[in-house]
This record gives sequence, structure tokens and C-alpha cells, in this order.
Amino acid sequence: MAQRKAFKQGAWCDHIDVRDFIQQNYTPYEGDEAFLTEASLKTRALWDQANSLMQQQIKTGQVDVALDRFSGIDAFEPGYLDQDKEVVVGLQTDKPMRRIMNPYGGFRMVENALKAYGLEMAQELHDFTKYRKTHNQGVFDAYTQDMRRARSAGLLTGLPDAYGRGRIIGDYRRVALYGIDRLIAEKQQEIARELGPATDERIRLREELSEQIRALLAMKQMAARYGYDIGAPAQSAREAVQWLYFAYLAAIKENNGAAMSLGRNTAFLDIYLQRDLDAGLITEEEAQELIDQLIIKLRLVRHLRTPEYDELFAGDPTWVTESLGGMGTDGRTLVTRTTYRFLHSLTNLGPAPEPNMTVLWSQNLPQDFKEYCAKLSIKTGSIQYENDDLMRDIYGDDYAIACCVSAMRIGKEMQFFGARANLAKALLYAINGGRDEVKRDKTCGKPFLAMDGIAPITDEVLAFDSVFDNYKKVLAKLAGLYVDTMNTIHFMHDKYAYEAGQMALHDAQVHRYMAFGIAGLSIVADSLSAIKYARVRPIRNEEGIAVDFEIKGNFPCFGNDDDRVDELAVQVTELFVEELKKHPAYRGAEHTLSLLTITSNVVYGKKTGATPDGRKAGEAFAPGANPMHGRDVSGAIASLNSVAKIPYCHVCQDGISNTFTIIPDSLGKNPLDRRQYLAGILDGYFKQKAFHLNVNVLERQLLEDAMEHPEKYPNLTIRVSGYAVRFNQLSRDQQEEVISRTFHTRV
Amino acid sequence: MADITTQITGNIHSIETMGLVDGPGVRTIFFLQGCPLRCAYCHNPDSQPMNSAAARQMTPRDVLNIALRQKNYYGQEGGVTFSGGEPLAQGAFLLECLKLLKKEGISTAVDTSGFGQPKYYPQILPLVDTLILDVKAFRSGTFQSLVQGAFPVFLRFVEDVLKADFTGQVWIRHVMLPGYTDNEAAMRELVKLVRPLAFLIDRIEILPYHTMGVGKYAELGIPYRLVGVPPMDPDKAKQLERYAHRYYLQTLPKARLRQTPTPLPLPAFPQQKESQEAMERKTDFRADPTADASPYIREGIDLRKLPLLRHLSVSEFEEMAQDVAIKRVKKGDFIFKSGDSAGRLFICCAGQFKIFTHTPDGREQIMYIYSPGDFVGGLNLLKGHQYLYNGQALEDAVICTMSKAFFDRVCLPNPRILQQILEKSYDRIRWAEELMTRLYATNAGMKVAELVLRLAARYGTQTEEGMRVELNLNREELGSYAGLTRESITRKLGEFKDLGYVDFEGNHVIIIKDEQALRDHILAG
Repeated sequence: MAQRKAFKQGAWCDHIDVRDFIQQNYTPYEGDEAFLTEASLKTRALWDQANSLMQQQIKTGQVDVALDRFSGIDAFEPGYLDQDKEVVVGLQTDKPMRRIMNPYGGFRMVENALKAYGLEMAQELHDFTKYRKTHNQGVFDAYTQDMRRARSAGLLTGLPDAYGRGRIIGDYRRVALYGIDRLIAEKQQEIARELGPATDERIRLREELSEQIRALLAMKQMAARYGYDIGAPAQSAREAVQWLYFAYLAAIKENNGAAMSLGRNTAFLDIYLQRDLDAGLITEEEAQELIDQLIIKLRLVRHLRTPEYDELFAGDPTWVTESLGGMGTDGRTLVTRTTYRFLHSLTNLGPAPEPNMTVLWSQNLPQDFKEYCAKLSIKTGSIQYENDDLMRDIYGDDYAIACCVSAMRIGKEMQFFGARANLAKALLYAINGGRDEVKRDKTCGKPFLAMDGIAPITDEVLAFDSVFDNYKKVLAKLAGLYVDTMNTIHFMHDKYAYEAGQMALHDAQVHRYMAFGIAGLSIVADSLSAIKYARVRPIRNEEGIAVDFEIKGNFPCFGNDDDRVDELAVQVTELFVEELKKHPAYRGAEHTLSLLTITSNVVYGKKTGATPDGRKAGEAFAPGANPMHGRDVSGAIASLNSVAKIPYCHVCQDGISNTFTIIPDSLGKNPLDRRQYLAGILDGYFKQKAFHLNVNVLERQLLEDAMEHPEKYPNLTIRVSGYAVRFNQLSRDQQEEVISRTFHTRV
Repeated sequence: MADITTQITGNIHSIETMGLVDGPGVRTIFFLQGCPLRCAYCHNPDSQPMNSAAARQMTPRDVLNIALRQKNYYGQEGGVTFSGGEPLAQGAFLLECLKLLKKEGISTAVDTSGFGQPKYYPQILPLVDTLILDVKAFRSGTFQSLVQGAFPVFLRFVEDVLKADFTGQVWIRHVMLPGYTDNEAAMRELVKLVRPLAFLIDRIEILPYHTMGVGKYAELGIPYRLVGVPPMDPDKAKQLERYAHRYYLQTLPKARLRQTPTPLPLPAFPQQKESQEAMERKTDFRADPTADASPYIREGIDLRKLPLLRHLSVSEFEEMAQDVAIKRVKKGDFIFKSGDSAGRLFICCAGQFKIFTHTPDGREQIMYIYSPGDFVGGLNLLKGHQYLYNGQALEDAVICTMSKAFFDRVCLPNPRILQQILEKSYDRIRWAEELMTRLYATNAGMKVAELVLRLAARYGTQTEEGMRVELNLNREELGSYAGLTRESITRKLGEFKDLGYVDFEGNHVIIIKDEQALRDHILAG
């Protein structure tokens, strides 16, 4: 029997340091995809079963929920899809796609979700709130009047005050590399080191470390139910995949976070797979089988959410984001054969939104890999790209993306997720004196006063300087309110819904980011541009609220590589982040900012009145940092160049999302041209320090046909913002918004 | 002094910043306003008037500034294309634009039907890298009925291109209408018509007529002359495009051979299933692991199996001791560099390595690829000369190196070894001569066809799907071997696949589907 080679030793042996283990032992791969194999028979049979379960649920709209107990790492009996065919085991509950009730974030959310599906939890569980307070209750106990007003007007939206915040990535690799027992021992030492005055911070840390140890024990017990002892390190490739998956499984059993991302695992897993391949213990087909089956498990992840939530985000997004590729700080590529295997699941199992395949793009990636990614983007529409050359300078080479665009060092940093502020609405507040243009006060029937102390603008024609001065005041007020609101939310989340299992897979001392967000930037830029370069006359109702705008003359729009307007977008972004940074964040967190709307750009549009750029009331926003639909008329590269001007480092350091759609015939004459050109476009875009790109290569007619005949396209996957969705799971409004976006084409 | 680049202006109809089909690579397309022709099928009738309120006035400097903002995307082949309208109808403006762009090293393309201002052609054409020549029809009658322009004007333009100092490539483009030119006879006419440009032509494109522009006529209140003509079936157009290419290739040699002496003949494909090299590449020089220690086994390599050393006696092996060493190199490691003194001879025992130099413009030029059994440095040792090129591993490799002392003492006096060195040198000279012909070949199609055929002759394996050529080269290196950039060779290979000449497995295996078509590119056949 062949022997496995011993791992190369290093700092990773003395203390927890997964990066060092990878650097010492991984094999970069610069070749092409020719070595990849098809899905095994077992995988194919298993995927057929999983897929039919999913399709069935989409068809019936009914969900299955474990009604007799609440969430917990070790709360459920083992579950299988088809045990004989599974080489990777473990489900969230005892049955595939059976969802978990997690009451800690908010009890009402659970009740509402169940009610919407006509379900009821077991009788004895109703008493939960008699004995235990939730995160949601905590937040509302501490919210101020101003916070409630901003929230109810839709100025601040999507705040994680009633659901799990997510966006934390456990270093799931640690369980495979070290085994649970070693991790517990390390945590015990960390507690022992935390001596000294019992300050708030120290008391909290000691309590949290104890929670983490309990979570690690629970993980071990959970795995034991499946017949595995994960107390010791993984020995084989199969064990490494299994251990890592158990660690992730613990996270999604314990938490219902908005985004539960996986990290950056392919170079790590490749070490084990390559070692077993070298020793002749597995074949390439078996290596692919392990990855394919891990992917099947990741595609089966489900959380219990209300239908409104699912409508907002389209389908059942879980943001199981896996970061792929990138370069090491030593100049070697982090692409391995397993990076290919992971992406190859899109071919073996067909395209799908999850896991959220995120390629970390560097100019120095091997050309073969670049073109392979481009080929898969064209074929499956399931990949997003983010600029590794920008991020590596900040985070080193062992960071990963949480959710869509949020980078953090794995196991060393975490993020307090903070949704976004509607800056288009804020601009209307600058014009309307803080009174909402849509919402009315329930008690007096007058326009709802969402923000105090802003004087309305009464000019016949809007003057740029006075609007911009007022806007600065609104942004300053909004920033302070936003930071305070986030501080309140995360204080309570730590207190009532602490993610012990995920934090157990972090160092004791973590760096924290507080991630704020902006929605509607392109509307703000175009509006300010219209006010500056054209004549904008507000049409006010009898209460003095501008409900529409009359625009005379031309003005430059964001998305045409025109500095006159692009610089307005940059200026507003910089202004807002500076204002945010004036207010200290909870637990010393570092402020960051994103331009990311996911699919909520449609809902923001509905809640926002007409804007000075000519957008009508209720019309959808452009997603993320995208130019408004149809206004980027100078071709795709001019559009990309405008977005690329928004700075990442220290400004929008929580990500700048851009979604780009091009029709196949415009991308080149034959498949080889298309691969090469798409890779070239990505190189060009990222070379000028742009941050993120979603790539869709498809025809508008195809989407229109899919809207009318969804049955013909069960797996049509498109990228909408920082993630991908099945087109059929978008609401009609969202589908129409996607179709109305700019398709770059050439007749 | 007045700066013409900021004073003269052009009428720009529109700009497409991501043009991927009008010329090679990623390009910025400037559509110039105005065209003297009134093509019946024109899908942009709004671009026909020479003046339009909707057009933008731009100076050459404006054009350059936009191009510079896009330069990051251009890569190795991309650049700026002037289309229209008829770009040659704004000759003075176009000329200044081209001068500015060339000064910045930006590749240029002009998409024309040949109806411009001839007085500017002699200055414009030398500044054009890719001339996209739109051939409306192939004989006078059809031409006049479709485009309301005089056929002889087009013919004169072709002559002007030949007369001018034009060193670029030509893309022939034709919009095919059902009932007009959708037949093989018409394709033969097309080829004959453009034959004077033969060695400049890089591709022939047949664009199927579509009716998407018809709506614009109604908007502009212009009658549409082709009412009732259905869109052209794209599959049939593709088929005829293939036919035109084949016909173009078949009729090529006769035209050229009259002008040039016979070039080097192409080697025939191996008769046996595998070429000599393909077999050699698999040769295993590893020692039998159970063998006892002996003087010819070094670090697991059985030196007796190396062809060059096959004829040494046991005592000679015993004598070599420290003179011979086994070196294991990783992919990308250098074995020697240009300027190193030639102190050792290198024999490849496993893996492959390339020998390359740099061209004066800084590109890598691969000269030779060494497979197991090959050796390098024999002549250098004889002459005591330094290396003039670099040796770098294409994959993890095992190399046996031999000192000059041992070489002089043992190898030189051995006539069988000397004979092998001479034979190898002869092979190398032949290969170098072939390389020369390839690099001097006029167009990219020839370069690629010739390289693929020569690699097939050396490394190919006959399979049921066709001759299979497995390469350790990435596209950058393959391009370097052919004297082309990665982007050019990839584009040409993509085109060859599209035309049915080759197929691929991943990026490193080429399967020849139509050997004759490739051979037809090369005049010696």
C-alpha cells in the first residue's frame, strides 16, 4: 500500500496558522482544464435526486421546516440524501432541504415565516420568549426615535435588526488541519492568558471564548453522530473535505445569517487531494467526485425566511461564497487543480447560483486559467470577478469574500454587516427639508418628517450649490445616525445571537470592520449633474414637496467615462465615508463602505419618489454601482471606466459591485475569440483598479422568452449583483428590471 | 503655430467603446458620419448624410484622448477602428487621427467600402494596420443595383491599396443577401475580385443580411428598397464563407509560385502511428529500480539509455565520476542563459525545455524545443563559444550535464558520438531554416498553418479524429514559435477551428481535421 507523503513542517505546527500550511505545501497549477473528468455515476445519481427536490420546492412554493426544536450545532439527528452514494455526508437537519427555526435573531421573524407557509411550531416552543430575549427585542429596546424614523421611511433599509447578520467566515479549514481537540486546547490557553482587570471588554471576551469552546465540543458531537471523530486532524483527502464541511455545517446549523460564506478553500483542499493522488490512493475521478459532492451539499443549504425576504432577494440566496484563485504574496499563483475542480462542478452539475463562485482576478493569473474562467462565464453566467491585485495589498493572500464583495482575512477578521442607506432619497430630503416624498405621517396625514433640522429648498429652478450644501448637511446627519444605529444593532447581536461556532474558528483577538452601504449612487450623480449642467425645475405639490422634476437641456450621465459627472459620484462617496468615520464604531471596528444593492434596487426604487435626473417615482434603481439603465450609451468600456473611478482603498473598501451584460455575438466571432476577449476585458478593467464585475453573456430575447416560458429554462442562471440567481425565481418586477438593463450590443 | 490636431474636426456619428468584431482584439470604434453610397441594406441610414445635427464634432486630439482612456483594454492586438459611414470620406481628419494614434503605438483599423477621397490614400494607407474592405458586390450590374456607386471606383481603390505603401492586413467583408450572392459561383467571383490583394488578406467574412435596421427607415421617412427580402440564413452564409476560404486557398499557390522561387518543402506526416519525437518524448531513461548500483546509473537515470552515450564503454562510464551530474529543474527554471560560457553539455532525460532568444522589439522568439534524448551545447563545446540563447524548462525536467573536460577526453575521440552531434546539428540547421521561412511568411494564417504542420510532423500522433499534436507550450510560447503574439495566434486558431481545419482539447492539444486546407496555406503544398 502506497504511503502518503508527510506534510512540510513550519510555523503552522506550533500555532494555528493555516496560511503557513498552505504556503509550505500547495502546488500551484498553471495548466489548462484538459485533466478534468466527468461527474461520477454516484454523483450524477445524487445530483438528480437533489435537483428534483429543489425543482419540486420551487414548483409547489412550500417549504419543509423542523417544527419540534430550535437551531443548534448539535440539535438534529443525522440526515442523508442517499447514504450509499454520498462520499461527503451531513445535512442541516435530519432531512434534505428541511429548514431550521432560529429564534435568537428575532422570534417574530420565525413566527411570520411559519405563518406564511401555514405551519406552526410545536406547542412548548411558543414559550421561548418568556425565558429568553432575542436580538430583535434588544435592538428595539435601545433604538432612538430618529433611528426608528430613518428606518421606517426607508432611508436606512435592510438593517440586520430582526435577522442574523451573517457575513462572518469561520476558518473552516482549521478543523481539517488541526482537529477539534487541538482547537479547544488553544482556546483554553487563550482564556488563561486573559488575566487582568475585569473590564467590559475582557469579561465579554472570556465569556465568548467559553461559548466558543462549547461550540467546538458540539461540533465534535455532531460529527460523531455521523460516525466521524473530528477530534483529530483529517488524514486523507476525503476526511479533509468531510471535516471542512462539518465545520461549515456547524455554522449553518447554528446561524441563519444573511450570507454564510465558505472562505477560500481550494488551495488548502488541493494539498490533501494531490497527496492522495500522488500516493495512488485516489483517482482524478474520485478527486472530482469529492468536490462535486461537496458542491451538492452547498447547493442544498436552506434557511427559513419570510416570503417577503425571499422576494426581496430573489429565490433562496445563502451566499455560500467561495473565493477562487488569486496570487500569493510571493508571486506564485494560488490557482491549483482543485480550483479547476471546483469551477468544473458548473459543468458536471450544471450552472447554479450557489456556491457563489468568486474568482479573485490578478493580472498575473495564468492565462489558461483566465480563459477557462471566461469560458465558464460565457457558458454558465455563474461567476463573479474581484480584483485580487487591489485586495492583496490590503489583506495579504489569505483573505476571502463574504457575501458578495466583502473581503476579510480568514480567521483573523470579521465584519459587522450594515445594509445600506438610500442616498437618492437623502438627496430628496435635501430638497424637501427632511420630509419624505412618499411616506405620510400616520397621525396627522402630513408628509412624514424623517429628518429634523434641514431647511427645504424653495428655488424655482434648483441651484447646484445650494442643493449640494444642503445635501452635505443631510449626509452628515445621516452618517451619525447610521453609525449609532449599527452600533446598537451589533451590540445586541453579540449579546443575544452570538455566532459561537463561527467565532470559535477565529483567533481570540479579531479585527472588526463595520460595513456601511450606499444605494442609488448613479441616481445621485446624474441628479447632481442635471442640476449643474441642465435646468431642473421641481414640480411641488400643495404641501411644498417636490414630487417630480422638469428638466431642460442635456447633462452628462454616469457611465460614459465623463469626468464632469463621474467626479460627482466619487465626491459623494468620499464625503459620505468621511462623515461615517467621524463617529466611533462599536468594538473599535474600522468603517468601510460598499456600493452593493443585491436585488433590493427594485424595492428601493418603489419606495423613492421621482428624482432630479428624470427617473420617475417608483422606477427601479440601477444595481450596486451600475450606471442607470440605458444611460451608458458610449459602449461597455466607457461604462466600466466610469465605475472604475470610484476608489476602493479607504473609500469603498467594502466593495463596489458592477454588473455587466453583453450579448454573445458582440463578444467575438468564435468561442476562442470570445474567451480571449472576455479575459482581456477583465484584465483591462481591473488594471485601472476597478473592484468587481459580474459577467452575463446572453441575449435579451432569451430572457424575454424565459419570462413567458419558464418551464423551458429551469436552470437559467444570471448574475444580478454580488450573486447569481435562477432567473425563474426572480419576481416579475425584478425580471423586468433585469431585462431593462443595458445590454451591450452592436448591430 | 496652429496645431492641426486640435483645429481640424471630424463628424462623429457615434462611438462604441467595446468593439470586439471590427478588427482584431478589443477596439474602440469611431463611426464617422457620412457615406456617399446608399446601400440598399444599410442598417444605419442615419449615418449616411455627410452632415447631421446629431453628429458630434471631434478633433483628432479628442479621438486620441478617448483611445488613451481605453488603452488598458487593447492588449496585444486591439486598438482603434474607424468605421462609418465611410471613414475615407473625411480624409483629412482621418489622416491626422491615424498619425496621432500611431505615434502613441496604438493599432489602427479602417473599415471602408473604398469610396473616399483618393488624394489622401497614399498618406493614409501606410498608417493602417488592418484594412477592413467591404465588398458590396462582385460585378458591375449587381453593384450598381445595390449601392448606387460606380463599380470601377471600387476596383481603383484595390489598385490604390496595392500601389500605396500599405504593410498591414486586409479583412474582406461582404454582406450576403439571399437571391443576390448566396451561391458558390458568387464566392468564386469574390475571391477572384480580391485576388490582387491575396497575400495581404487575413480573413474573409461573410455577414448574413439581417432586417434589424429596417425600422430606422420608417423613422427617417426614407423608403426601404429591399422590402420582402428575407434575412439571410446564418448557417448558409457560414457554409459559403467556408467555401470562399477553401477556394481562396486552393487558388493561392498558382498565383504566388510564378513570383517566388520554391520555398522549403514541408515535411510529410509520419507514416507510422507516432512520429519519432512523439515516441522519444515518452522514452524512459529511468534506471530499473531493482538494478544494482553501477557506474552508469546516476540518481535513478540509466545513462546507457541516453542515445548520445549509448556507445560508451563500461570503463568510460567508470571514468566520468564527477564529470557527469544529474540536475532536476522545475518548470520555468533556466538551464542556461544567453551569455553564459559554454562549459557543459546538456542532455534532456525527462521533461522538455525550450531554447529562445529575444527579438529586437523585445518579444520572446522560441527557436527549438528539446525533448528527452535531445542534447544541446555540443557545437558550443567544440568551438568554446558562449551561449547566445536561453534554455528554460517547459515542465519539470531532468537534465544530465557533462563537463567540457570529459567531452574533450572521451566524447570527441568517439566517432559515433561525433556523428550524432553532426546529425543533430544538421537537424537544427534545417529547423532554423524552416523557422526563418515561417517568420518571413507574409500573413498570420500562413505562419500558424506552417507551425501546426511542422509541429505535427515532429510531435504528432495519428488518431481516428485526425493528427493529434500535444504541446507543452502555452499560447504565449506557441505564438513566440510562430513569430506572433498570443492574441494573434489564438485568434487565428479560433478561426481555423471555425473553418473546420483544426479542433482542440483544452489549450495544449491541437487536432488537425483538414490537413489539406493547412497545406494550401503554404505555397509549396
